[in-house]
Amino acid sequence: MSNVGSYLWLIPALPLLAAARIAFLGPRGLRPSSDWPCVAAIGVSCLLSFWVLFAVGGLPPMGEGDGHMKPEQEIVAAHPWVHVGNMDLGFTLRADGLTAIMLVTVTFVGFFIAVYSIGYMRDDPGYPRFFAEVSLFIAAMTLLVLADNFLVLYAGWEGVGLCSYLLIGFWFQKPSAADAARKAFLVTRLGDMGLLLGIILLWVKSGSLDYDRVFEAMKAPGMDSYYVAAACLLLLCGAVGKSAQFPLHVWLPDAMEGPSPVSALIHAATMVTAGVYLVARCTPLFVLVPGVQLVVALIGCFTALLGALIALTQNDLKRVLAYSTISQLGYMFLGLGSGAVVAGIFHLFTHAFFKALLFLAAGSVMHAMGGVIDLRRFSGLRKLMPWTGATFLMGALALSGFPGFSGFWSKDEIMAGTLERSEAPGPYAAWYLLLFVVALVTAGLTAFYTFRAYLLTFEGPEKVPEEAGHHAHESPRVMTVPLVVLAAGAVLVGFMEPLTHVFSDLLRQHTAGISELSPQRPDYTVMAVTTLFALAGIAGAVYVYRLRVGLADRLARAAPALYQLSLNKFGFDEMYQTFVVKPLDGFAEFCRVFDLYVLDKIVDIVGMIPRLFGALFRPVQNGLVQFYALAMILGLTVFLLALVSKLNP
Amino acid sequence: MNPIPLHHYLVVGAILFALGAIGFLARRNLIVMFLSAEMMLQGVAVNLVAFARYRGNLQGQAFTLFILTVAACEAAIALALILMLFRRRGSLDVSLWQELREPGQEPTVDEEPLPPPPKEEPLPELTPSGFEPPAREETSHV
Repeated sequence: MSNVGSYLWLIPALPLLAAARIAFLGPRGLRPSSDWPCVAAIGVSCLLSFWVLFAVGGLPPMGEGDGHMKPEQEIVAAHPWVHVGNMDLGFTLRADGLTAIMLVTVTFVGFFIAVYSIGYMRDDPGYPRFFAEVSLFIAAMTLLVLADNFLVLYAGWEGVGLCSYLLIGFWFQKPSAADAARKAFLVTRLGDMGLLLGIILLWVKSGSLDYDRVFEAMKAPGMDSYYVAAACLLLLCGAVGKSAQFPLHVWLPDAMEGPSPVSALIHAATMVTAGVYLVARCTPLFVLVPGVQLVVALIGCFTALLGALIALTQNDLKRVLAYSTISQLGYMFLGLGSGAVVAGIFHLFTHAFFKALLFLAAGSVMHAMGGVIDLRRFSGLRKLMPWTGATFLMGALALSGFPGFSGFWSKDEIMAGTLERSEAPGPYAAWYLLLFVVALVTAGLTAFYTFRAYLLTFEGPEKVPEEAGHHAHESPRVMTVPLVVLAAGAVLVGFMEPLTHVFSDLLRQHTAGISELSPQRPDYTVMAVTTLFALAGIAGAVYVYRLRVGLADRLARAAPALYQLSLNKFGFDEMYQTFVVKPLDGFAEFCRVFDLYVLDKIVDIVGMIPRLFGALFRPVQNGLVQFYALAMILGLTVFLLALVSKLNP
Repeated sequence: MNPIPLHHYLVVGAILFALGAIGFLARRNLIVMFLSAEMMLQGVAVNLVAFARYRGNLQGQAFTLFILTVAACEAAIALALILMLFRRRGSLDVSLWQELREPGQEPTVDEEPLPPPPKEEPLPELTPSGFEPPAREETSHV
């Protein structure tokens, strides 16, 4: 097991190879079978990731009794890369507990989503392109989490951004998809700029880019805490962009223009959690500045509430899920900001399962309904699509935090962490209490909108839009099997932490001496209160959408302003349009005019000067042979006179 | 024998050169201009030969031979060119050829027109006299 380090590079390399193979051979030879290199590469990467996990955690692979292996804690595979002056930068891969969890999440969920895509993308003309881009994405994402220094992380970070752009715009013939891809790219770019600046600041201040050395240097007593806070805020800026947190959350709902497996893989399970990973990875920095931690928690909590409020009224099933993703990512940030790193990462892990499941189930619905995804156009699909309906219900229960399901355990830990932080002696305790209350309300809202989506889709009288045609039946086996696997995950993975504390164990080295706040045993009071809110939400949804049909419309009419506010996503898009896009457009127009009438004129004047000189001498070139001859003779005369006067002074 | 001193030769060469230069600048007939240029060349050749004799070596003479060769080639080419130019414009006036000036530059026009070409004196006609020789009827066979 000790030699797993020498195979570490294979985890990103295999999907990369698969991507290259599909990209070069796919369109010609491989066409209908371009799925298997992708699936095989991700599968092998997944097995390797489990190996890494066992090696890092020291868990017995299979029933070795109580013989816990000695945990390795950290596997490092260093490859020299850049060596300039006194800067020594390695292409170093490092796997510790945090990385191992992320690796397993990404490759395991990614594997099943790739399998699902075999069925979902079957008839698409861009079949090879899809799998090439998915492979490339997995390669970039695994590189991101395996990085041991900020530069390699940044490479992976940009790689996933690129793949996200490509896959959102997968159906680039649709103008809305092309626009959404551009929007996603530009908005996340804002955050990436912050990340880059943060990395540069850390490098300038610590002289290194390796995580450990940066953290050591920033912890040193001589370091000005102002710089630490600035670096943390800049890193947070990158994380906010990537993880679609307020105020950069606007790109994620539009990203649903991509194919459903992409929404599941990139915009629910993996890429959007890169920001959470970054903040978790940099926990040693964030704990140095409690103020920034509070900012993280505030952003997270506000985003969670905002996402939940918007999700209440959306009519597009995938958009409901997108806002729910934003909201759940907000929970993760809340956990990280409260110092409950274990809870945050645990929620990331469970969320990857149940949200990927929900997206895949929504994709299955979309597949059957002939591309229609509007909640008002179909209902009562449970009979038609029993597997999809049942697995969606599992995902919905997990997302709402129904007791026993995975979302329940992880969300509860975040709540408990927030509450504990508010009770712990420390600055900003009152703030954390407020955040706890908001998070509770959000939990109720989450349950409500999740079940609204479920009830409107799968319950009630059977209604199928005419676009569905003969498609209106359960999806093929290759799509339902991943659904069932992920549903099993959504139910079961939640027990991992409360029963075995495997996450705490894995992250102990990472959080050593930093966070004693993560609750080691469940807090039953918090659990009861959260459950109460979740159940209330579910009951509310059942009451409004099942027992009193029509009540929802009456509620909407009773408070039209509130309803419109939520339906229009609180007008963020319009606000950005007015306050960011329009002024920038104006500025661009100003620049254009300035360039045209000021800069161009200056350039013209510079060009005029030699032209004027030329005009002085132009008459000399009159084309008369004898004039030229005269000039030559005069020149010769002058030269001879000068020579003579020089020789006989 | 009293050798002629060097400067005499040089003066002859300079006079030839100056005459050629003046002719080149003053005349507008292409052929005359060409002849003037040749004259300048000969002035130079005289200088070279004179120095060769003065120094007592053969370099100047060898050089002069080259100059003569080149001048012969040049003459062939120049006359061919002049012939072509004459065919196009029907005149040997060099001021008809001003195309190689700067764009936008007005062509130079004579302020006063050229004097009309001198009227050709008719050749004196002699009254035929004597007999017209009879055409030969036999051709000699060799």
